[in-house]
Amino acid sequence: MRPSAESKPHLAPGCRLSEMPNQEATLMMPEGALKLKGPGLQILRSCDGNHTFQQIVDALYKQYQQANLQKIEQDTATFLEQLQERRALDF
Amino acid sequence: MATPTNPSTNPGPLALIAEITHRCPLHCVYCSNPLELTARERELSTAAWIGVFEQGAKLGVMQLDLTGGEPLARPDLVELVRASRKNGLYVNLITSGIGLSADRLAELVDAGLDHLQLSFQDAEAGPADEFAGLTAHGKKLAIAREIAKHRIGFTVNLVVHRRNVRRLEEMLAMAEGLGAQRIEVAHVQYYGWAVPNRGELLPTREQVEWSLDVLARAQERLRGRIRLEYVTPDYYARFPKACMGGWGQKLMLIDPAGFALPCHAARVIPGLQFENVGMRGLEWIWSESESFNKYRGEEWMEEPCRSCDRRAVDFGGCRCQAQMLAGDAAATDPVCSLSPLRAKVDATVAEAVRGGRVSEAGGAGEFVPVAEVAEARWSYRLNPR
Repeated sequence: MRPSAESKPHLAPGCRLSEMPNQEATLMMPEGALKLKGPGLQILRSCDGNHTFQQIVDALYKQYQQANLQKIEQDTATFLEQLQERRALDF
Repeated sequence: MATPTNPSTNPGPLALIAEITHRCPLHCVYCSNPLELTARERELSTAAWIGVFEQGAKLGVMQLDLTGGEPLARPDLVELVRASRKNGLYVNLITSGIGLSADRLAELVDAGLDHLQLSFQDAEAGPADEFAGLTAHGKKLAIAREIAKHRIGFTVNLVVHRRNVRRLEEMLAMAEGLGAQRIEVAHVQYYGWAVPNRGELLPTREQVEWSLDVLARAQERLRGRIRLEYVTPDYYARFPKACMGGWGQKLMLIDPAGFALPCHAARVIPGLQFENVGMRGLEWIWSESESFNKYRGEEWMEEPCRSCDRRAVDFGGCRCQAQMLAGDAAATDPVCSLSPLRAKVDATVAEAVRGGRVSEAGGAGEFVPVAEVAEARWSYRLNPR
């Protein structure tokens, strides 16, 4: 499922973001773990059920000024869609 | 020959499989436990298990599978879950659900359980209870409703074989209604108690192909709602499975008495000595022990694996299957189409499913082997002392 501008992604049951000192941030899921850094980590940190997809994209655009807004939007939507299909996210 | 390893270049295990007991109220005819089960008095203590989890976390383990036997048979399970979570591990409970009251489930969730995998033997109580050797199906359905009330990961596991695969669609429909985020369909693998029952369990090629087609369609239909995962049974595959992600690469299994094994079935390999966590630390066992180094890397490989392009993909398949089917743990997994012994596997399969006839009942490719209709003679797994 593709997120809409108003979607508020949040972690599905059984999934949590682990950020321990001296370790890479990791999304822990029933079927494994996904190591995260850069924009991926930033997006997951915002998947708390309070931020809309639009707000997440806007925040990324603010930070990565030189990037193309449409590309940020597409890449973020694809990333969220993939995690939703793995049942790591709900929105 | 053992490959020299260096802890700094050989990363630690990602997952720890803790068979905390071999005791189980069920007697499943395809149980993956070894035929020689560990008695209760030899099980590790609570403190010893917690020590294992602490060492695992330090070694880089992220996921912990608490399994058995039936892990609920351990009265200290809540304590073990709490300690694992405290060490930063992601805690999976792999269970039949038998022995799980609503109160105990709430305690486990409260202690930090991340994910629970509940197995089903069939969609119908009659055959399900026959395969489990216990009246269990109705209880499992009841406990599934309790599990779905909690905010934890929930996977329903369906085990399929010749005698139930034609009810796969009914099994999927049942699983869909249980409130799980994930469904895992596992064709029986031929280890442990499934070996003496292989003649009763092996599906026909038609059944396997039909099931893969059903699963591919179900996966599409459930996309975004339920994650459906399945694997092709390797007796019918062209290439072997990448067993355990490679020997000593990703996983470490600890049996109830504290012996560390590179995989569930490793005890079938003669002459391999396994270390006990009571004598050696996990880090030493992982990086230095003979058992974990024996089939690590590619040094040990024989032809056709040694020069094969797929050796880094499937690592020559399963060492235990090579032992069981070829009598040589270093041989190419005989299920591989490149193995000189593949014909032997085909003969085994053909013998197991001989007597197939066309049925008017339809269902699984309109092919129902006579062996499916005839009454099965099961070897039921025992309960250790």
